[in-house]
Amino acid sequence: MNNITIAWRNLWRNRRRTLITSASVLFAVFFALFFRSLQLGSYDKMFRNAIESYTGYLQVQQQDFWDDKTVDNTFRFDSALNRNIIRDPNVIATIPRFESFALASSGPKTKGVLVMGINPEKEEYLSKVPDKLIKYRITTEAIEALKQHADIPAKVVDLALLHKGTSYSTSDRMQVDLGIDDRDAGRLMPTIEQVTRFQNGNIRMGEPGAWVGDRLSQYLELEIGDTLVLISQGYHATTAAGKYVIRGIVKMPLPEIDNKVVYLPLDICQQLFNAEGNLTSLALHVKENSDDAVNATAERIGKLIPENQRVMTWRQMNDVLVSQMQADNYSGMIMIGILYLVIAFGVFGTVLMLTAERKREFGVMVAIGMQKRKLASIMTMEMILIGLLGILAGSVLGTGVILYGVDHPIVFKGAWAKMFEDYGMEPVMAFQGIDFYFLWQMFIVGLIVLISMFYPLQKIFGMKVVNALRA
Amino acid sequence: MKHHIQWGLLPIFLVLGMPVQSQELSAKEIIQKANDRFNGEKTSISTMAMTIVRPSWQRTIEFRNWTSGRDYALTLITAPASERGQTFLKRKNEMWNWNPTIDRLIKLPPSMMSQGWMGSDYTNDDILRESSVVNDYTHEITGEDTIEGRACYRIRMEAKEEAAVIWGHQIRWVDKKDFNFMKSEYYDEDGYLVRTELGKSIQMMDGRLIPTRIELIPAEAEGNKTILEIKEIEFNPPIQDQFFSQQNMKRVR
Repeated sequence: MNNITIAWRNLWRNRRRTLITSASVLFAVFFALFFRSLQLGSYDKMFRNAIESYTGYLQVQQQDFWDDKTVDNTFRFDSALNRNIIRDPNVIATIPRFESFALASSGPKTKGVLVMGINPEKEEYLSKVPDKLIKYRITTEAIEALKQHADIPAKVVDLALLHKGTSYSTSDRMQVDLGIDDRDAGRLMPTIEQVTRFQNGNIRMGEPGAWVGDRLSQYLELEIGDTLVLISQGYHATTAAGKYVIRGIVKMPLPEIDNKVVYLPLDICQQLFNAEGNLTSLALHVKENSDDAVNATAERIGKLIPENQRVMTWRQMNDVLVSQMQADNYSGMIMIGILYLVIAFGVFGTVLMLTAERKREFGVMVAIGMQKRKLASIMTMEMILIGLLGILAGSVLGTGVILYGVDHPIVFKGAWAKMFEDYGMEPVMAFQGIDFYFLWQMFIVGLIVLISMFYPLQKIFGMKVVNALRA
Repeated sequence: MKHHIQWGLLPIFLVLGMPVQSQELSAKEIIQKANDRFNGEKTSISTMAMTIVRPSWQRTIEFRNWTSGRDYALTLITAPASERGQTFLKRKNEMWNWNPTIDRLIKLPPSMMSQGWMGSDYTNDDILRESSVVNDYTHEITGEDTIEGRACYRIRMEAKEEAAVIWGHQIRWVDKKDFNFMKSEYYDEDGYLVRTELGKSIQMMDGRLIPTRIELIPAEAEGNKTILEIKEIEFNPPIQDQFFSQQNMKRVR
């Protein structure tokens, strides 16, 4: 009879004890997997949103542009080259842009603004600006109308007063701000939406017109139909100056963008800066956005473009974000580390109890002649088996929950959602699918079990049989 | 005996016989005369072309300029078409810009003073705060050089303590015959050369011989240069004070 068989039988001689011990290991593995998956998934989503909403994963630029972002460092858009780029297996679409700074003025007020020349349809692939057009605004008239309606509760009207002047591109946020829960939403929201509806408009290629950020429009006291004056320095030191009718107002999630962004149709923007046909960047919308796919695509595109242009990846363009990601990752690991500490005590506590319980049993075994070495060896086997049992069970449970979670991420509503959106993030916590981190978690828990084993082993070797028999 | 007396009187004659208007002008007077050729006039009307030269491109702007003393100037851009119609008004230390495309009058804020006027190497500050080369510096003749085939005084101008000038010192070469500024070097307070100005194409304009092509070469930027050409200039025509007004900025043609 070898030690393993003995160990196995020992386990099942006291089923409850075995199950308790392996349960603590199971929970250890399960929580470790659960939280790590949640962490990794959330970071991934957060950064994906940030990247996709602005720079995209890849951009083609003039070679000096990144270090000196002036209008003089733009490149000519070549439609033949554009077609070649779209033919790349990983590229879905190209998004042309012309970005620069200007002074905007309305009446006596002037402000430095970020002017973005865009193709509104193409931006659906990236920043999705058209989706951010305002649909509702809580104006003074809207509040008056709400007061007239009998079925709108007073506290909703009060909250509306609190949020006077706020604009929304979706109905959900407005619902949250007005403190209406989902039960009443069906009843109340249609009225509210009708009263606060905002007439917005489009900008089109070839037609002078502008979209303005919500906060910017309020600062400059401009509304749809008013004229915005822009002045700046154009290509080759020409004067860039133009007047544009405001066609629409957008609400950008980040306040620092919302208070200074002006969108113009791409060709109108090029004309303003006397740089017709030029772009500051051509962003690429890709199918696969893993680091390997992105880098491979960058290499292939790099061979297609002329000498004076370059391809930049999102890592190169977002070094602040990349640092943030690393910082978040490390802080996440510290959190998991603390979790492990807690888990380790849990496992150790169980092992402690286990050892104390069996003191007499060990004493008898040794008294009748079993070598301590053999006892220790059997004990070790037992612990390993319990550990494996717990890890396996925990992994299976974890996998099940995570796979479910990947398809059904945790969606936040209410005040939590608002907090997320204030940072420009989607109010969602996503799960990361099965990946290498699985092995790591299992390995670490295994390590914890092995370390816990020292206690019983030490007890065995240091045992005074006489005392043990009296336990 | 007779010779003796004659020899003895020779030095006296030599001294008495020396021309009264000797070349012993002080450095300050030389600078004064050179300055007066251009800036000492009451008024002027001129047509100029400014070419901005950069390593990979160049651009030329043409304009008409009305000035009165050192405090008032009105400039109307006449070419190229994209810039035509813009006017600039200088009144003492303030500058305004009228842009017909956007129908707006803009006062240039202090933050824009260090930027080039119309993208050139002349900064707005240069145009506005033309310090007095005569009063804000102490002058010293340090030698002679030949520039463009003309014999020139080399004069070192050290900025006075109290003077509100950005230059630490300047070295100027003034032509001995006509008192034109042939070359100027501008140094900052740490003694580094920041800019060189060259006067070329000496021609007759409205009765006087002046450099009609001035090249401004910044020391730091390779391949950067601004060339100012005076196509015609009229000295001391009658110009009313009301001419230099915001209303006139929009009307002048």
